[in-house]
Amino acid sequence: MLLLLFVLILSTTFSAAEPGGNGDGLRDMQCGGACHGDASQNASSLLTLSIEFPEYVWVGQPTEVSVEIGGVNAAHDEHLIGLFLLSSTNANGDTPLDDGWEILSDGQGGSGNYVEMTTSSNQATIEQTWVLRANEVGTKTLFASVHHGDSSGPSEGRPFFGVSQGFAVTIDPVPENLARLHDDFTPVTSREVGDELSMTVHTTYANAVEIEWRTEDGAVMQAVVNSTAPDYWQFTLPATLTPSIIEWRAILSGEGPSQTTPWFVLGSQITPEPVNEMPIYLQGFAMGLLLFGAVLLLQKQSTHPEEAMKIYDETSTIEAIESNQTSEQTPPSVAPLPEDGLPPGWTEEQWQWYGHEYLAGTYGGDGQ
Amino acid sequence: MISSSTLHVVATELVVGAFALAGVAFTLCLLAPMLKPSMADKLRSSDAVAHSAMLFGLLATPLAIWTGLASAPTGDMSSPVLANKMLLSLSGLGLASGVLLARWRNGASIWDVQRTRVVQGVSGIGATGLMLLTASAGGTFSRGESLLDWLNLPYNEVLLMPTALSAILLMVGLACSVIGLRSSA
Repeated sequence: MLLLLFVLILSTTFSAAEPGGNGDGLRDMQCGGACHGDASQNASSLLTLSIEFPEYVWVGQPTEVSVEIGGVNAAHDEHLIGLFLLSSTNANGDTPLDDGWEILSDGQGGSGNYVEMTTSSNQATIEQTWVLRANEVGTKTLFASVHHGDSSGPSEGRPFFGVSQGFAVTIDPVPENLARLHDDFTPVTSREVGDELSMTVHTTYANAVEIEWRTEDGAVMQAVVNSTAPDYWQFTLPATLTPSIIEWRAILSGEGPSQTTPWFVLGSQITPEPVNEMPIYLQGFAMGLLLFGAVLLLQKQSTHPEEAMKIYDETSTIEAIESNQTSEQTPPSVAPLPEDGLPPGWTEEQWQWYGHEYLAGTYGGDGQ
Repeated sequence: MISSSTLHVVATELVVGAFALAGVAFTLCLLAPMLKPSMADKLRSSDAVAHSAMLFGLLATPLAIWTGLASAPTGDMSSPVLANKMLLSLSGLGLASGVLLARWRNGASIWDVQRTRVVQGVSGIGATGLMLLTASAGGTFSRGESLLDWLNLPYNEVLLMPTALSAILLMVGLACSVIGLRSSA
């Protein structure tokens, strides 16, 4: 048993606890440091991180924030990279939401601050784009952070963690008469595969709206836009046949300055059908009850009083021994029982194995 | 506020730890007759350890199942791994309950007869195995890896019987239980 435990301990390594990733979501930085089991086991990642954002960031308006990861597959064989967009390095309470940002899109069809990306061998840099919206004028700081493993080389299996310097973002008031999306506009980020999406955009100070969309291969298409009411514009994005991503943006023009919105990401997915849990519960209870009943049934005879008495009734054994003694034949392997029956504390099976030693007086501390 | 995920970790650690101890003790109980009486007598204490640990694990199992369901990403069994966990844990729950009830009704003499000893020992070890498989499936679901990965167990495939067959199995189980319970009444 100790040997087995020893082998199991030796077979473990201090490595990434979740090599398959943990899924996109909204997470604090401490997850990247501590999800590996022990933050002290982390090594410093050699990946470079930079954040880019537009020259002008206006309060209440969607803003494209891009994170570029450099040095991919150079120093490490990452395979999978987890990327955080953070508002501080406090490790806790440090998502952009904690600093007054709203995440409209994470570029993967969600609205979290953490995404996981698979790397390929011919890829030196990875760019990931979020669309954020600031709630107040002023200066805010953004950080990017990565965690990953190493699939080969001397650092194979080690967890790595890295965080960028802070990038200050100045949020300005919106210019007067700027053609823009209304403050209440929130883009749809996901839909079902096979469904067209008809979307209505609410604008301010916009006299005309153009909608461009593109698929993952980058071909930019134009959507037909209809004005359904003053400041309300409707367009339709085509259905996808497989789970994939479509990006779209609006080009707004009016009497004031024009504006092109960031690319909004729209993911299409297949939502699993609701599971009927009743058959699973029924089968589970059936299997449990069957096993419960089977054990009781198999053990039932021993509970019978007569059967219980038979445990201590050695008549048949003694008769057999006497019969053997009469015919001057001894069993080839089982020692004859003493006249008083089995020694105290002995079972028949033990007597079969050690009876000879007992009779010969060579049995250990429990001898005659 | 403690999340159901954290409670599930606590509950599963209680269940797995208790059942692992019970499994070791059941193995010793099963092998006791092969050992010398001096050692076999000492191993009698394994009987108490095996059943006490199993009882403790059994009490923690419903908590583990409930917190597990509550902490599932969609709150239901949308994943085949979760369905397999439910089937395995309920089977283990039934088997362990039978083992404990049989021990309670028969007393320590259950180890004195070869047939009952083998049934009790194998059932106890089987219940432990089912619970450890459940834990392994949980590790595969939440972390993508498990200590039993080398077995390549098909956690993503659910062997689900037709509802009618499950109902028949339930009736058979019910009949077995009634007969088993009435045998000493």
